[in-house]
Amino acid sequence: MNRKSASITSPLLDARGLVKSFASRRVVDGVDLQCRSGEILGMLGANGAGKTTTLRMCYGFLQPEAGEIHIDGIDRVSDPDRANRLIGVCTQDDTFDTDFTVRDNLLRFAHYFRPRPTDMENRVGQLLTRFDLARYADAKPDTLSGGYRRRLMIARALVHQPKVLFLDEPTTGLDPQARMSVWELVDGLRQEGLAIVLTTHYMDEAERLSDNLMVLKAGQVVSGGAPRAVLGDLVGEHVIVLDANIPQAGAVQQWLREEGIGEPTRILNTWQIALDGTGLAHFSAVFGELRFEVRPPNLDDLFLQLSDKDS
Amino acid sequence: MRHYRAVAAWQSWVVLNRHMTVYLRNWHTAALPPIFEPVILLLVFGVGLGSNIPAFDWQSQNVSYLAYLAPGILAYTVFMTAFFQALFAAYIRMHYQKTWDGQLTTQVRLEHVVWGEALWSATLGLAYAVIVMFVLVGFSITGWLDFHWSGVIVMLPLLFLAGVAFAALGLLFTAIVPTIDHMNIPFYLVIMPLGFASSTYFPLESDALLAQAWLVINPLHHLAEGIRLLLLSGVWSFHLLAAMMLFGLMILILLPVDLRLLRRRVLGER
Repeated sequence: MNRKSASITSPLLDARGLVKSFASRRVVDGVDLQCRSGEILGMLGANGAGKTTTLRMCYGFLQPEAGEIHIDGIDRVSDPDRANRLIGVCTQDDTFDTDFTVRDNLLRFAHYFRPRPTDMENRVGQLLTRFDLARYADAKPDTLSGGYRRRLMIARALVHQPKVLFLDEPTTGLDPQARMSVWELVDGLRQEGLAIVLTTHYMDEAERLSDNLMVLKAGQVVSGGAPRAVLGDLVGEHVIVLDANIPQAGAVQQWLREEGIGEPTRILNTWQIALDGTGLAHFSAVFGELRFEVRPPNLDDLFLQLSDKDS
Repeated sequence: MRHYRAVAAWQSWVVLNRHMTVYLRNWHTAALPPIFEPVILLLVFGVGLGSNIPAFDWQSQNVSYLAYLAPGILAYTVFMTAFFQALFAAYIRMHYQKTWDGQLTTQVRLEHVVWGEALWSATLGLAYAVIVMFVLVGFSITGWLDFHWSGVIVMLPLLFLAGVAFAALGLLFTAIVPTIDHMNIPFYLVIMPLGFASSTYFPLESDALLAQAWLVINPLHHLAEGIRLLLLSGVWSFHLLAAMMLFGLMILILLPVDLRLLRRRVLGER
């Protein structure tokens, strides 16, 4: 197999059996993940599910207690320098260097890599243009708005032309317009062949951007695959929405318990009940006289379901 | 050994280069303290206060207080500059500016960040010491001081080593102080006693066993006395060797401890 075909078929990021504990609490427990060139892997989970810890092990900030991580075939434990040369990292918090301007942040960051990125002046100019940062090139990064700070963080992660990009909640705290422009940039990077691993709390972000989803709960992967398949796997085929204050509420709860579905998820004055096709047919047969809405499941349902099971 | 090998890694020197670049951009204001502090101290204490202190016997020589004080200020400058840079400036970079977090997303690892901080602190300490030397040369030209300058070049590596050792001490407190306000505790309980009870500003002569023991293990005392003997008499004394060994020991012991504590603080690792 030649090198080119190997790079197409084999994952650029290949992590297996990752384990990490803090203060004797196991935060990540046997997580596997793979991401290929031109692919976005979305990592979902509630707070404390182990997303950021998994990501931090993959980019070398933390050392796993067990497991292996390979970046384009390079073992990151035995050869961290070469492995880190191939990755770009955009952390949750802004960590740019406030002593330098936007342009100098990009130039300075390139110093932290060997072999040194070539033709840096041009490369930085291209990044400033692409990320719409050229007009702020001589400004200090802490004077930028939230959206432009995120752009700088992502641009900085790309300055040395990595093959794998880690984005830890890249749009948290941004307004909808800024979020969408970050999505477009990320989508463009995917098309250029980067392998991108993304953690997010935003269900629409994960659904729109991810080729594959990985759902973490209590440090373990509870589901993985294409977003629709993950939803079907964890939530169901349909979600019915009905008024929680109807007189028949007790009967509905009783029926759900008898069917082994458990308690419905409550959002304000409504119940959201995930059902498969057969379940929906049964529900309609039993409660045909009720007014309810049927909609396809989304990642919000998944998130709420995971949270409900945690509580 | 991995901890010590990191001193030679390119990443550690790139970290140093980053700090130096930031510092040199403000060189015109940054150069004021190392120039004016020794001038003011020498004028106020050496010339002013010294005019009321008669020449006294030190190591079988009759010396003026100004001549006694000047080498002490040289040693004290390295000590305070390196220590402060590794304590306050490094803490600000670590905690407030998140400079370390950014560096750690690259090929730079924590051992490089720590060595980079220590090397930079020592470089700045040495640079300040060289500026103080020029001030002392100025005092020599005016006739206020009469020093032997022949051994001064050889002394520079020792001053750099002293800077690394005091930076390692500073980084220890950077790793353990809960907040920046808590830095008063090491400063007044450790640093000020270490700095003043060290033959820098006055001869510490006591027959008490505790005082003698303190002087034996205090590397700043040996540095100050060694520099003093070299500048006043042109003598290479055992103090210089003792200082070198104590600084080496400090680095060997403190750097791995710093790294272990900072690994816990910065990375959350046990």
